[in-house]
Amino acid sequence: MEATIGATNVLWQSLGPFFSRGLPETVKITALLLCLGLVLGAVLGFTQVYGRRPFRYACVTYEQIFRGVPPLVMILVFYNGFARSFHIMLPATMSAVLALGLRSAAYQSQIFRGAIQAVPPGQMMAARALGMSKLKAIRYVMLPQAFRLAIPPWSNEYSGVVKDTAFACAIGVAELTRQAQLAMTRVSMVPDIGSRLILPIFLILGMFYLALTYGGNALLGLLERRLRIPGFETKGKVER
Amino acid sequence: MKRNLLVLGLLLVAVSFCAVSAAAATFTLASDTTWPPFEWAGTDGQFYGFDLDVMRLVAILGGYEINIVSYGFDIIFDDVGIGRVDIGASGATITPDRVLKADFSAPYWTSNQAVMVKADSGLNIATALSAGRKIGAQVGTTGAKWVQEQLIDKGINVELREYTLYPLAVLDLVNGNIDAVVQDEPASRASMAADARLGIVGVIETGEQFGFFVTKGDPNGLLAKINDGVQQLKASGAWANLITAYMGGAELSKIEAAWKAAASFLTAKDVVGFAQALATGATAP
Repeated sequence: MEATIGATNVLWQSLGPFFSRGLPETVKITALLLCLGLVLGAVLGFTQVYGRRPFRYACVTYEQIFRGVPPLVMILVFYNGFARSFHIMLPATMSAVLALGLRSAAYQSQIFRGAIQAVPPGQMMAARALGMSKLKAIRYVMLPQAFRLAIPPWSNEYSGVVKDTAFACAIGVAELTRQAQLAMTRVSMVPDIGSRLILPIFLILGMFYLALTYGGNALLGLLERRLRIPGFETKGKVER
Repeated sequence: MKRNLLVLGLLLVAVSFCAVSAAAATFTLASDTTWPPFEWAGTDGQFYGFDLDVMRLVAILGGYEINIVSYGFDIIFDDVGIGRVDIGASGATITPDRVLKADFSAPYWTSNQAVMVKADSGLNIATALSAGRKIGAQVGTTGAKWVQEQLIDKGINVELREYTLYPLAVLDLVNGNIDAVVQDEPASRASMAADARLGIVGVIETGEQFGFFVTKGDPNGLLAKINDGVQQLKASGAWANLITAYMGGAELSKIEAAWKAAASFLTAKDVVGFAQALATGATAP
């Protein structure tokens, strides 16, 4: 037992610093890309429901393109493609945030579209009948309900993008996965026990992503409960 | 009072700008830090390795600063070439393809390709590279290119497995998924020193020349400074000391400890003293 604890300590002392350098980078990329995706996704979602026809088509086209291209390809387009073809040299982290954020916006637009369409259309009519303008009705009647309905599917999107950030290691962003690669290089050169430490590195890496998705989803669950309107039933089940 | 604070703030900003403009120019240096003993990242986040210390010392001699960033080997030539980063130092062989992308320094290292197998496999250099074998190499390296051009293209039916990172190829070899790894000799020797299950069965005399490289067209005028700096290091004996420190097969942790002990010489810009201290520390019993 003591030997196991000793070995764990040694393992953590040599690996911990790599991961503690990578974690803030992964969190930063995730936060930035989600913000970008949230703002743009909400605009796209609302435009798809309420916008005039040409805007609607533009949003659908955008959404189809960005949902249809793999995240790694998007990152390479922003990082390598733009630099080679247009001499626009985005820094690696910014390329990852833009590529993954614009992609997330496409997914989030569908979350918001679904949420808006889940609010009964009668409410829009009622709001208009009470003399509200269309924008006011969206702002005060539809949006507050739609955002609440959007939280559960949005937690799904969150879990997805946290793991997508690992693709940024392909362009050398020093996030968790890249740090795990550097740790693996260093640790594999430790005489005798090096190659036995490779599996723990990747297990620990996996646990970091697990903790990030679990923690984030727990916070979103909390948010969902806090924002619940007592006595007002928008879900299809009885509130506990 | 508020007004005074504002003036003070503006002054501070102005002073800091002056300080920045007075300081030496800083260039970004890209290196795939997964390739000991030429470059690797220590647990402490510090980048170590022969290439990087040569570049640090050359920067001191040339009067500029470098900022080292960790990079993937397969994108390093493009990104240095188009000027996203200024300098590349990554155990890079000078090849015709790469010369088209970036401008290279004079050769600073001659390397051959080592054929590494599992020590208990009973393979020799001929059987390890014969038809039906699975041979690993890092993607984009001259080792991978050699297997492709000298074996596969010549009709020897081996299977080339390419890995994004060199340690992954070694790991696959240890696990028995491939029969051999073709890789530059110093890196192979370092792997062998760390793992007794590995053995080098032969060296292919490719006589490859390593070069440092800069953005195409050398917009910052760095090549002359790099070439001069390397010459100065050789003349002062610092070069030989760096080779002693890094290429002697010392354990990485020992080199790292020696580096930390010698780091004060870097701050003092004492190039010769640093190399001397590093070599002494890394070879101490």
